[in-house]
Amino acid sequence: MRVLIVDDSQIMRKIITGVLKKLDIEEIAEAVNGQEAVDIAAKDKKIDLIMMDWNMPTMTGIDAVKKIRADSNKVPIIMCTTEGEKEKVMEAIKAGANDYLVKPFNPKDIQAKLEKFLASFGK
Amino acid sequence: MKAEYVNPFVESVKETFSSMLDCPVKVGKPMVTKDDENSQDIIGVIGLTGTSRGIVAIRLPVQTALNAIGRMVGMEFTEIDSSIIDGVGELINIVGGNAKAKFARQKISLSLPTVVRGNMYKLTNLTGTVFLTIPFSSDIGGFQILVSFKPGETQAYEKKEVAHAGANS
Repeated sequence: MRVLIVDDSQIMRKIITGVLKKLDIEEIAEAVNGQEAVDIAAKDKKIDLIMMDWNMPTMTGIDAVKKIRADSNKVPIIMCTTEGEKEKVMEAIKAGANDYLVKPFNPKDIQAKLEKFLASFGK
Repeated sequence: MKAEYVNPFVESVKETFSSMLDCPVKVGKPMVTKDDENSQDIIGVIGLTGTSRGIVAIRLPVQTALNAIGRMVGMEFTEIDSSIIDGVGELINIVGGNAKAKFARQKISLSLPTVVRGNMYKLTNLTGTVFLTIPFSSDIGGFQILVSFKPGETQAYEKKEVAHAGANS
């Protein structure tokens, strides 16, 4: 399984990477803003899951989700963000995100969300 | 500044430190912020704009910053580097984001966080309000949250509605 972590915070990428490795997921790609995520998603069709922050410089996560879906790319996307208001969750789902994880979260929250996706992959 | 405008930030700090650092915190007595010209602390700042406006900052002594970010990622840090600066930025981003969701009927956006070190800065409060410092203590060290918040018209409107309803009852 190949996962793309999109977050402008290196600490947050490190935290999520740590949880992925605990789940024996070794194929991890990283992007520091929405534009990089869009570019990687367009080139790398082996990505099975994207974990996407919302507030980032250059291009926000929500704009990246819209662009990825506009390319007819159906890769599952989990928003991992501080934007916890109901309207924001609805906006993300409407844009094409599949699931939502609100910061602050701990590694167990990330693990629970990932295990849900791993189960759907039969792993 | 009224407690109702500060409490969301206090609650957010408690939740963020408990969830991400597994670190319960104790809240001290709020005070009006004073400049500290000799400070070498690490300061993470984020702006809130929209129906209400505000600035919220976290001020961490160096050792608390090293402990906090080390706890976040499960590593030991001995000096301030890009990971610490990045981590403090992420901390204030989460505190601000979590707090803004607690303001009912408000549409607030967050700016991207900024992190500075030492005394080469001056936090200026918004016109018509002050900066409040809320001290916290914890097993990883003490730190402070600084808040300047100006409520928007939506909250003023809600107060008017409550007053009106009270007058009719």
